[in-house]
Amino acid sequence: MYVEVSNVKKSYGEGGSYVEVLKGVSVGVERGEMCVIQGTSGSGKSTLLNCIGGLDDIDSGSCKVDGLEIAGLKKDKLSDYRRDTLGFIFQFYNLVPNLTVRENIEVCRYLTKDPLDMDELLDTLGLKEHADKFPSQLSGGQQQRTAIARALIKNPKLLLCDEPTGALDSKTSRDILILLEKINEKYGTTMLIVTHNNSIKNMVHRVIFLKDGEIAKQYTNEKRVPARELEDL
Amino acid sequence: MKNPLIKRIPKELVAEWHKYAVIVIFMVLMIGVVSGMYVGHDSLMASINAGPEEFNLEDGCFELKKKASQELLDDLGKGEMADVRQYFIDKGIKEADGEVAKAIDDNLNEEVTQAIEDGVREQCKAYGITDEQMIKEQIDTALEDNLEDAIEEARKSEDFKKAVEDAYNEAHEEVIKAVDEEWDEIVKRYDLDEESFISVPITIYDHFYREEAEDNNNDGIKDATIRIFKSDSAIDKAAFNAGRAPETDTEIAIDRMHASNAGVEIGDTIRVGNKKFEIVGLLSYVNYLTLHESNTDLMFDSFGFDVAMLTPAGFDTLTSRVHYEYAYKYEEKTEDKIALADMGSRFLKSLITQTLVYDNEIEDFLPEYLRQASNFAPSDIDGDSTTTAVLCYILIAVIAFIFAITINNTIEKEASVIGTLRASGYSKGELIVHYMSMPVIVTLIGAALGNVLGYTAFRNLMVSLYYESYSLPPCGLVWSKTALIKTTIIPLILMFLINLIVIVKKLQLSPLRFLRHDLTTSKRSKARRIPAWSFMKRFRLRILFQNIPNYIVLVFGVIFIELMICFAFGLPDSLNNYADKASEMMFAEYQYMLMGSKDSDNEVIETSEETAERFSAKTLLYPRNNDVSKMRAFGSGKDESITVYGIADNSSYITLGAEGAYISSAFSKKYGLGAGDEISLHEEYENKSYSFDIAGVVDYEGGLAVFMDRNSFNERFDMDEDDFSGYFSRNEIKDIDEEYIATVITADDMAKVTVQLMHSFGAVIDVFKYVLVVLAAALIYLLAKIIIEKNEHSISMVKILGFLNGEIGSLYILPTAIVVIIFAVAGFAVGYSLMIYLFKVIMLQMDGYFMFYMKPESMVLSVVYLLIGYAFVSVIDYFRIKKIPMDVALKNVE
Repeated sequence: MYVEVSNVKKSYGEGGSYVEVLKGVSVGVERGEMCVIQGTSGSGKSTLLNCIGGLDDIDSGSCKVDGLEIAGLKKDKLSDYRRDTLGFIFQFYNLVPNLTVRENIEVCRYLTKDPLDMDELLDTLGLKEHADKFPSQLSGGQQQRTAIARALIKNPKLLLCDEPTGALDSKTSRDILILLEKINEKYGTTMLIVTHNNSIKNMVHRVIFLKDGEIAKQYTNEKRVPARELEDL
Repeated sequence: MKNPLIKRIPKELVAEWHKYAVIVIFMVLMIGVVSGMYVGHDSLMASINAGPEEFNLEDGCFELKKKASQELLDDLGKGEMADVRQYFIDKGIKEADGEVAKAIDDNLNEEVTQAIEDGVREQCKAYGITDEQMIKEQIDTALEDNLEDAIEEARKSEDFKKAVEDAYNEAHEEVIKAVDEEWDEIVKRYDLDEESFISVPITIYDHFYREEAEDNNNDGIKDATIRIFKSDSAIDKAAFNAGRAPETDTEIAIDRMHASNAGVEIGDTIRVGNKKFEIVGLLSYVNYLTLHESNTDLMFDSFGFDVAMLTPAGFDTLTSRVHYEYAYKYEEKTEDKIALADMGSRFLKSLITQTLVYDNEIEDFLPEYLRQASNFAPSDIDGDSTTTAVLCYILIAVIAFIFAITINNTIEKEASVIGTLRASGYSKGELIVHYMSMPVIVTLIGAALGNVLGYTAFRNLMVSLYYESYSLPPCGLVWSKTALIKTTIIPLILMFLINLIVIVKKLQLSPLRFLRHDLTTSKRSKARRIPAWSFMKRFRLRILFQNIPNYIVLVFGVIFIELMICFAFGLPDSLNNYADKASEMMFAEYQYMLMGSKDSDNEVIETSEETAERFSAKTLLYPRNNDVSKMRAFGSGKDESITVYGIADNSSYITLGAEGAYISSAFSKKYGLGAGDEISLHEEYENKSYSFDIAGVVDYEGGLAVFMDRNSFNERFDMDEDDFSGYFSRNEIKDIDEEYIATVITADDMAKVTVQLMHSFGAVIDVFKYVLVVLAAALIYLLAKIIIEKNEHSISMVKILGFLNGEIGSLYILPTAIVVIIFAVAGFAVGYSLMIYLFKVIMLQMDGYFMFYMKPESMVLSVVYLLIGYAFVSVIDYFRIKKIPMDVALKNVE
């Protein structure tokens, strides 16, 4: 398994405000797989993603990515891990407002010795003509494409996407999903996608349902629907 | 129902307590200092302003060479000009009458003698006597027997009487003719051509004084010059800070400031001249609020100069010469400076003409409005308050802008909240009031605490600072409405307006744009192009562009602080430089100015000192082109006093080039004069000017002077060929009686200005330096904090992406560091140039010359001090960046 999560527990607060968000979750994702994590609000899907991304520590259990145990890593090692392995895409893009599209992408290019070709990526993502614009001068879809480009420029082995289409209309959502699909095919990038959207599960290899901090269901799609054919996005 | 947004304010204050604490401390200190300055100022000024009436301050004074006769005083009291023409005619006639009488006597004697001799020769011839020896004997006998009678008889003759009358008439006519011929020149010389001279009636008071050597510790070495007045003086009286006036002839009261500097107290015994006195009082003379020995001194000298009070009996026990100073008060009262200047100049005419006709000489004349000793302190106290207030406003404006930037930042952060509130029905006005409340509350807290401190600790501090420099009378606490207006109302208005403009401008946008976070007003469709540098450099450049308003405020603050640091370093450096070079500035170790070149027996004053060299000197004035309104700003306000020296040929003290007039380098620098220029100097009490073509510049920084060879000097100023004014000497001259010495100038006299200034400012300047470092650090802290807050989200995001804290620090701290370093250096250059300019402007109003100087290490330290302040801030910033959690970006749900 490329991503191997075993019996991970995570809680917040103390006393009356104590909440156990992950109650011994175990999942595995193979290299090159696209995986959707679905669940209702508060089910723990974003927490699981953050734990895998090294943004949050776990109370117990094990979380390995490409054989590297994330749990217990020191902050600088976690930085190295994120730097070398991960790409992030968020619902609200999290672009640096005072940097242009090209410069936002460069933020991550700076972190790797072997980046993808910037112009090719801009071209692929349809951002070429917007390269010198600031995020505030772009539409939501363009901003999310920029966020994707930023995540992809360092050719990450694992792409973590937290509600990547959550702030987008259905057409733009579809465009973004087509793009993610292409990337997965082209670069073999492993992807973990947290989403509320029920249709997205149809395009990925693996689907995990979380409910109240536990795995309610997980399965592998026998027949994947291409992103362009997804309905009700 | 109250606006629920109000509840946010205390929470905001608690959440951002460190930011507001810095701002409040900043404001409390600034407002406190300025308030203390004003309250101290008003308290001191109330006391100073009560002085003229309470202690009968003169309207002016003059010193005469000899004691004035009652007739002269009576005529001066009338304030009228003397009949100078008649004086010259009477004087001429008196001289002519003597000459005529002598000529008549000689002539009569000769003629009668000849007549007797002729008669005797006739008789001898008739008797056939031819022996010349016998004839001469007969003539001698006849002269002895008859000459007196014959002369007496001749005097009675009508012819003789007529001849005598004719001779006198002719002589008198000649005198009148001569006076009339020279009248134009006399009119010009004494400025007598005013058609309708309006008399200036005055009341004159004897204000005689003596100057003696003061020995504070009775070690036989002179510590200061003490000027002693009598305790029964009806004019220019003293306030007593401690003790009382002397009552016996062995008691003395001395200046409080000088006593403090000299380390003597009531009950101590000091030696004045050759006599010991017990100090019974510490006083402040109403006309000596600063201890200016001479009105043309660049700075007062409360170390080397003292004023004192003795009983008339005590005064008479001293042996030094009496200075016949007379103080006067105008019959007509006015406060108007122009009227005072006019009355002063009219009275001077009266004084010049009356002393001329009474054969006395003016040694000194000084209208009170030009008197540095009584006007310097109030002007300085006024000037200090104004300067501090301006500095306070600049800082408050800087803080207001910091607030404005912070609020701008907050509005951007809370855009969706604002959008929602506006969409829900909140009016723009309600939101403006909400966002305005924080700066107003903080200013009010700062102003209130500042005022409390201003009336207590800072007021006492300010007053004590002035008491450390000036000889001020005691003062009480005075309520100052200026302090309230300038330290509370104006800063509030300033803060209110600046923030109002910024907030109103920001809240002009529609609710929808707030909801969409679309708050940019820039119309640019593309980003500003930047050079193809490395990514990190370009990232930093973007951060710099993003924070331009912050950096503008920062640059403004840095330049302002650098200016202050230049002053803090430059003033002591300039003083030390002057003190260090004082001995080099003297062309002779001792410069003796004599009362005249001859002693009371009309013998030339000689010395056996081998290094002594005679010189001639005269003080003339160089026009300063000041108007009356500027007169009280600094200095005496009169035209610049220039010493013109006549130097001996082959002088061992001053080397002059070819023939001509040379000016001192200080004179050259102060007025931008050089070889080839022509200057015109004029007499102080006569309307007489002298032009000089400058042949070159002599390297002499010790004073404003013109040098020429002694022969040319004596010829130019109608002096006898052998006349001289004093001696230059390398060693002390001990064989000239003190009564013939007017002044002795040594290197210590040159350095006294620096000693005084260092005493007045030394300790404050050191504190000032550290305050500036804190001020700089606080200012940068506030602005850097805003920059980091503004980028908190991005910082969190790049952390998620894997950037290390060091890399993030270099991204967000380095641009500020670069700005601070560049503008610390540039600010220093601006501050340094500005200080040189300001110094020059001040010097042009003051008497003498003093160059602004900064040591190279001080220049470096000026920048380093600011950077040290910044270094602390950058460490805080680094930890602040380190503390930003990654969930700032993760929690972003906007």
